[in-house]
Amino acid sequence: MSGKTPLIRLQAVSKSFGPVHANRDISLDIEEGRILALLGENGAGKSTLMSILAGQLQPDAGTIFHDGAPIELTSTDKAITAGIGMVYQHFKLVEAMTVAENIQLGHGGGMWLNWAEINDEVRELAAFYGMKVDPGARIADLSMGEKQQVEILKLLHRRSRVLIFDEPTAVLTPSEADNLFATMKLMVGQGKAIVFISHKLEEVMAIADNIVILRRGEVVDRVAAAAVASTVELAERMVGREVLLEVDRQAVEPRQIVLKVEKVAGDGLQAIDMEVRQGEILGIVGVAGNGQKPLVEMVCGLHRPPAGSIRLLGMEWRKFFADQKWDLALSYIPEDRQGLATCRNLDLVDNFLLTTRGGFVRGPWLQRRQAEEKAKRLIDEFDIRPPNPQALAWQLSGGNLQKMVLAREFYRKPRLIVAEQPTQGLDIAATEDVWRLLLEAREQAGILLVTGDLAEALALSDRIAVMFEGRIVATFAIDDREHVARIPQMMAGLEITA
Amino acid sequence: MELAIIVPLLAAAVQSGTPILYATLGEIVTEKSGVLNLGVEGVMILGTLTAFVVALTTGSPVLAFVAAGVAGTLAAAIHGMVCLWFRGNQVVSGLALTILGTGLADYLGNAYVGRTAPGFSPVALPLLSEIPIVGPIFFNHDPLVYLTYGLPPLIWYGLMRTRPGLCLRAAGEYPAAATAAGLDVAAYRWFGILGGGFLMGLGGAYLSLSYTHLWTNNLTGGRGWIAVALVIFAFWRPGRAVFGAYLFGGIMALQLRLQASGTQLPSSLLLMLPYALTVIVLVLSSWRRGASEAPAALGVNMEPAD
Repeated sequence: MSGKTPLIRLQAVSKSFGPVHANRDISLDIEEGRILALLGENGAGKSTLMSILAGQLQPDAGTIFHDGAPIELTSTDKAITAGIGMVYQHFKLVEAMTVAENIQLGHGGGMWLNWAEINDEVRELAAFYGMKVDPGARIADLSMGEKQQVEILKLLHRRSRVLIFDEPTAVLTPSEADNLFATMKLMVGQGKAIVFISHKLEEVMAIADNIVILRRGEVVDRVAAAAVASTVELAERMVGREVLLEVDRQAVEPRQIVLKVEKVAGDGLQAIDMEVRQGEILGIVGVAGNGQKPLVEMVCGLHRPPAGSIRLLGMEWRKFFADQKWDLALSYIPEDRQGLATCRNLDLVDNFLLTTRGGFVRGPWLQRRQAEEKAKRLIDEFDIRPPNPQALAWQLSGGNLQKMVLAREFYRKPRLIVAEQPTQGLDIAATEDVWRLLLEAREQAGILLVTGDLAEALALSDRIAVMFEGRIVATFAIDDREHVARIPQMMAGLEITA
Repeated sequence: MELAIIVPLLAAAVQSGTPILYATLGEIVTEKSGVLNLGVEGVMILGTLTAFVVALTTGSPVLAFVAAGVAGTLAAAIHGMVCLWFRGNQVVSGLALTILGTGLADYLGNAYVGRTAPGFSPVALPLLSEIPIVGPIFFNHDPLVYLTYGLPPLIWYGLMRTRPGLCLRAAGEYPAAATAAGLDVAAYRWFGILGGGFLMGLGGAYLSLSYTHLWTNNLTGGRGWIAVALVIFAFWRPGRAVFGAYLFGGIMALQLRLQASGTQLPSSLLLMLPYALTVIVLVLSSWRRGASEAPAALGVNMEPAD
């Protein structure tokens, strides 16, 4: 990189949570007047890296240099003093306060607040960066784009030199996003350094000077944006070429259709058609945020499909969820295993009963002792640690909790399984366990696998469907090597006709 | 003729409203920092007893007044320890504090029941007390009442126009934002709890130093609870708290006068009046917009992960 001393330099920074390496050996330079994009899928370690820079997490190893001198960012306060500012995805704004009050918050200075003077100052600063913000407006009355401008003004007002944006366009309308990019250009023109965290390829291409790609906690690639020919190349670099290899696995004869989706639209989806048969895994791949979430929520009955039809096990959507049985039906393994799949303060037996209680009732009574015996057996069978049915959900590691969720869901002998990012945040051993379990479950069930990890999709799926902007761009068998090789292009929105 | 009845009644309203005003302002400061302290009643009564005992032993009402504030601060510190150090439930801790405070005051004050102590007496302010109607209502009281005339603007100014006040409000609205701005949320909450406790203690002191000059059990008589309700009625604003406190003071004074006048109404019904009004006021203010005016993080403890 350039000869100048970078404002912030990370050298071999590592951070682990238990056996999971969230960041491993990360080195990068943040330079004045440059926009550095951090690109990577969910769970690639972007947020961890960001929290380290914001002083919220301490690295296990490695050094951070500030203007060439080593610095320890042991608190938010220290990071702020070092001139590092963060625009969070979930704004840290006090809704009941005014714009000016939020900007003054945590700002050093005298005891007394002269609002007239402060308002003028804010107005001036906003105008300089081409923002239209009324200092006296209450945050609660602002749009998302305006709130984000307040966040930026907060940082500019305290003269931050490094501004870190965490997926800043996720909450913006396209025109607001354009405004943001214009402001970002202006800021780097003023000599600020910007870190832009995103998984949106076009945006990264449009705005970044340098691109660093993270995968599974490691820097896998670093390029100058000018040297990247297209979003396709970027997608290839993000996904990694090596995973596009054939994976050896046994096929199961597909049987009857367990999920049929026809012309489902709305909520960002457009004319989705697909079917899943018992005995196969359909892997849905694509960059996060291209419609996977609404699709899963509709299939699992959380939201009614606005248009089109979904048939599960041959039954119409409404009827299926109206009298859903606890077994031989649908199992949902959500991405958010701590929130949606389990209750953190309940023990494993109660968590086991959350979806299986239908099998342990006699009249109005719950047969808890039988459930406990069953849970104990599953804990042994799935090797869940600690092997104690009285353990509370939050005491389990991510991998063990996920195995517990799988054990519970497979106990219901589902005929359709929807698995969403099933191995996100798990270490390698746990990932392999989960993969093995899913492949075994395929004997009895059809599986809809939604994953951001292409390697996972390729290792498990019988067929692949690629999603982009709410559509399924293509569906093909795993042994169709021609199509498989072109997945990155399709993820980037090219070759819609394929 | 009518003025001769109404003016003394309003003067009495100011007087009985004063202890409630101290306590309400204290609770506003505490709640603005995001901590719900339901222990007002207990904190107040400990202030009442402390003031009485100190006045009795030293003969100095001023010293007694300050001592009551300190006692209130210490009592509130118990709440702070439970909520800020151990992240205990704020509602439970507050209720426990009320039970502890009233019980402790009854126990420790047993020896003093019926005794009298020196206190403050009304001082007519020169010139101001000469003003017709307003003079006798507002400017013919003891010094502790005059002190409350300055408090609400001072607290308002402190909360709205100073940097620490801004930070304290942020701690009560959205601690995560305050933390992200590099602020020590716990420190501001401690300030809110202790400062609020000081004011509650002063409110208690008024009861044994000015309102009466003697000690009996249950001298606060639910005024702490009224203060808790008044905070909601006041939409957490010091200015509206003055209005609310005098309204309740007026009802209490009216109720006493009606009893004295030998009305046909049963006295138990009259005694109930202020509390019935509390319920009505609470219903009305939450019906209007009370809930949306509350500090957003009121009653929510900070978790280490925040």
